[in-house]
Amino acid sequence: MPFKRMPQTFTASIGTVTIGTGEKAVTMGGENVLPLYSFDAPIANRPLIGVEVSDLGVDNTLPELAAFYAGADTVVEQAKRAATMPGADFLAIRLESADPNGANTPVEESVALCKAIADAVDCPLVIEGSKNAEKDSTLLAKVAEALQGKNVLLMSAKEENYKSICAAAVLAYGQKMGAESAVDINLAKQLNVLIDKMGVKGENVAMNVGSAAAGYGFEYVASTMDRVKAAALGQNDNMLQMPIITPVSSEAWSVKEAIVSEEDEPEWGPTEARGVEMEIATAAACLAGGSNAVILKHPKSVATIAAFISAII
Amino acid sequence: MALKGLDIFKLTPKKNCKECGSPTCMAFAMKVAQGGVALDACPYMSDEAKATLGEATAPPMKAITFGTGDAECKLGGETVLFRHEKTFVSKSLYATTVCSDCFDERMEEIRKVDYERIGERMHVEILNLVYGGDPAAYAALAEKAVATGKAIILECSCAEGAKAALEKCKDAKPILNGCNAGNVEEMNALATEYGVVLGVTGANLDELYDTVAALEAKGNKNLVLDVGTASVKDAFANAVQIRRAALKDKDRTFGYPSIVNVGKLAAGDRSMQTALAALFTMKYGSIIVMEGMSYAQALPLFGLRQNIFTDPQKPMKVEPGIYTLNGADENAICCTTVDFALTYFVVSGEMERSGVPINLLISDAGGYSVLTAWAAGKLSAGSIAKFFKEFDIENKIKSRTLVIPGKVAVLKGEMEEKLPGWKIVVAPNEAVGLVKFLKELKV
Amino acid sequence: MGKFVVIGERIHCISPVIREAMANFNPEPILKRAKEQLDAGATYLDLNIGPAEKNGVELMQWGVKLLQENFDNVPLALDTANMAAIEAGIQVYNRSKGKPIVNSADAGDRIGYLDLAANNDAICIALCSKHGIPSDNDERMAYCQELLERGMGLGMDPEDMWFDPLFLVVKGMQDKQMEMLEFLRMLTDMGLKSTGGLSNVSNGMPKHLRPIMDSAMVAMAMQCGLTSAIVNPCDQRLMETIKSCDVIKNETLYADSYLEL
Repeated sequence: MPFKRMPQTFTASIGTVTIGTGEKAVTMGGENVLPLYSFDAPIANRPLIGVEVSDLGVDNTLPELAAFYAGADTVVEQAKRAATMPGADFLAIRLESADPNGANTPVEESVALCKAIADAVDCPLVIEGSKNAEKDSTLLAKVAEALQGKNVLLMSAKEENYKSICAAAVLAYGQKMGAESAVDINLAKQLNVLIDKMGVKGENVAMNVGSAAAGYGFEYVASTMDRVKAAALGQNDNMLQMPIITPVSSEAWSVKEAIVSEEDEPEWGPTEARGVEMEIATAAACLAGGSNAVILKHPKSVATIAAFISAII
Repeated sequence: MALKGLDIFKLTPKKNCKECGSPTCMAFAMKVAQGGVALDACPYMSDEAKATLGEATAPPMKAITFGTGDAECKLGGETVLFRHEKTFVSKSLYATTVCSDCFDERMEEIRKVDYERIGERMHVEILNLVYGGDPAAYAALAEKAVATGKAIILECSCAEGAKAALEKCKDAKPILNGCNAGNVEEMNALATEYGVVLGVTGANLDELYDTVAALEAKGNKNLVLDVGTASVKDAFANAVQIRRAALKDKDRTFGYPSIVNVGKLAAGDRSMQTALAALFTMKYGSIIVMEGMSYAQALPLFGLRQNIFTDPQKPMKVEPGIYTLNGADENAICCTTVDFALTYFVVSGEMERSGVPINLLISDAGGYSVLTAWAAGKLSAGSIAKFFKEFDIENKIKSRTLVIPGKVAVLKGEMEEKLPGWKIVVAPNEAVGLVKFLKELKV
Repeated sequence: MGKFVVIGERIHCISPVIREAMANFNPEPILKRAKEQLDAGATYLDLNIGPAEKNGVELMQWGVKLLQENFDNVPLALDTANMAAIEAGIQVYNRSKGKPIVNSADAGDRIGYLDLAANNDAICIALCSKHGIPSDNDERMAYCQELLERGMGLGMDPEDMWFDPLFLVVKGMQDKQMEMLEFLRMLTDMGLKSTGGLSNVSNGMPKHLRPIMDSAMVAMAMQCGLTSAIVNPCDQRLMETIKSCDVIKNETLYADSYLEL
């Protein structure tokens, strides 16, 4: 008896979200198969890669990263350089300094920075807020207003602030939004329901269902994603069919393995190589789990993951 | 695997003769499905039907072992495709490739990577020995490999070379990975003669399937399936389809563990090998062969593997004890949290980022998170006081400041009673606030 | 087995409003009831045109097109004693949201409905009875087997036969309820799908008690594996119970707003 192939295609499919404008616009999602299973049915939109640009500037303790950004002394210059990174589909501007528990950069300054970057580059943009729910509800609304017509994705709306982000970002200024929950599948669904009730269509929403670096509770991320895709495709649950976008760099580069200096752990070798491998392994695991887009920071990770994606799909 | 009554009913004679004691064939089928009646209560069930049903109730994926002693490796035996459905039972194992020329260099690299993480030894478990065309040299390589004490794969499709190596390493119970459609006879004979697991490959899934069926017909069911190295896309497609055929579609011909050689799929590109190893750790690689394994690759991969193959029903726990951070000595302040691995990692990570020397005290809290442990009575003033006694904290540490998690601020008063002389300080609710808190903490 | 399938029963010629609308080909009352049921969470709508001996073909085609065109090709159960009308309805039926259901066959005079369903690639509701109410579960099982064999012989996928155990009225047949539930469990163990006119259970009870009794029955029946029921979806308590049971059975993922979905 010959081998009987049983392709697993679903009548349901993951929704699509398009960001950016014109020729550089990119679309994530749309598949009716499990993540990366292009052997079951064609996957129209391969997963996307975003390059993180922090408003705190480039970490110059990492020699290769610093070399890539050499000569780009302002965040706007760094964004322009990042946009040339081979493998990059979009930029993810991370407004870390806006955090009230950190530098607490005023909203106007952050907005001005986003505007300057949007004017300087033509690739699609994701704007990541300060992670402080209260601050982000004003900050992201103002960014949405300033970047009208650029079709950017604002990350992220949480349970605490989704209303203002829905109202301002999507309904008033036609931007896209991220819905963030921390490895809690019921909350992920509930947030999408609430956003839907605000009148925001699924095509405007990407989910960030939580992320973790490899070794740091990644089993929760993996199982959350498995279950999201099972419900979205297997149960045709349209409140979980939004594509998944996962910030990888912020997690990968903040764990011990990517931070500790070579002096402290001589056996481990250079810090930067460790961070790169952590970022690559985490990104590959996220893509295997179901991320439709990942956000990375190191040029080597971006190149490797870009090659990885094109080798599989 | 439980069968539905319908599957059994289809094989019954459907004559409602009542000789089995049931009023109808359907009622009989249902009772068999529930396990209430044995199949042979029906006098008219054909042998073919019995064989079909017997096969259907066998485990969907075989458990295979190779290697001996400390290097014994267990593969397969999975029953689910996703860990949340139950649990994965056999973690992916990592191998590195060695050849006659590169043996010493590789061994030097992988010997460095040998450490413990949450009670698990992290090291490359297996050596994959590549055949260079000279049986004598291959035998010498096998001899060297045996001396390392690691489990062995012989990647060799030449019977002469394989035999030479097997003579030297048969007692180590290696895998002989070299069977293909063109050499079934001699490879099967060798594997059987030496009692070793046979690795099978094929130009495509159909050829692999036929080869496995041919081996099974010869009575050899001690196999692993090499997903091939034609391309990354094919290797992934094959690994998924093999596992899915076995577990979801109940096709037992593919009910064997897999070998994926990412070292060949991305020769020379270590970072791509990391990405692929992560992919196949997530999706269905039983053995993942790499060119080498640097610390930079090992840290995320072993961490990922430990996460994915943890039983969802059982939380990962760290051992109770004193963990010194940032060069803490006996004068450094004490902090405490629970033994749930995720909490430990998040908390200790933030503490390390603060740069403040800390004695992190972990007591046995049942592997729960802070609030859950508190609610279950596993993290209380009493449990911490008991820990202090058992670990003789007061004699080992001179500091008398103890920082407790913000979520159990309610314990402060009681702890001051149970630990006289100690200053109890309450930390922020969330770990993200720790860096700022610790830097500003006045002792 | 998947999410519970609610077949809305309110477009039925027994209702005077509907009967009159069908007599005059007046869309409004029918559309109103369809919308109410879909808003309340029905998956399928039952379209019962009564005996319709004279104009059954015309009426069924009109009804199918009316409902599907107005409600995004809503899947339908076609219900009439006129077999030609069912066949005609299927001819104009759009399958994009689900196969049509033929309502219904039994092991007696109506066994031909199974052939009708098989010939038209439709789902068929199959009553486990021949003449009236089966005396015990052995008899139910014998009818079930007869129907299953015939359907499979006609090339039907067993998944497309939804077996009806015959829900019995509590007032009068209280002592038979558990046996019926046991039969549902047997169907489930067989791997078969099931449905039925669940609200028959509370027939003759005071109006305010019916939702309570129906909800209790649906919960117990779903525990025994019932996969579908022909009910009034505008019964809020019943629908809330079904949605809650679907969550408990892990057929839908919980979210705080689950009752509103």
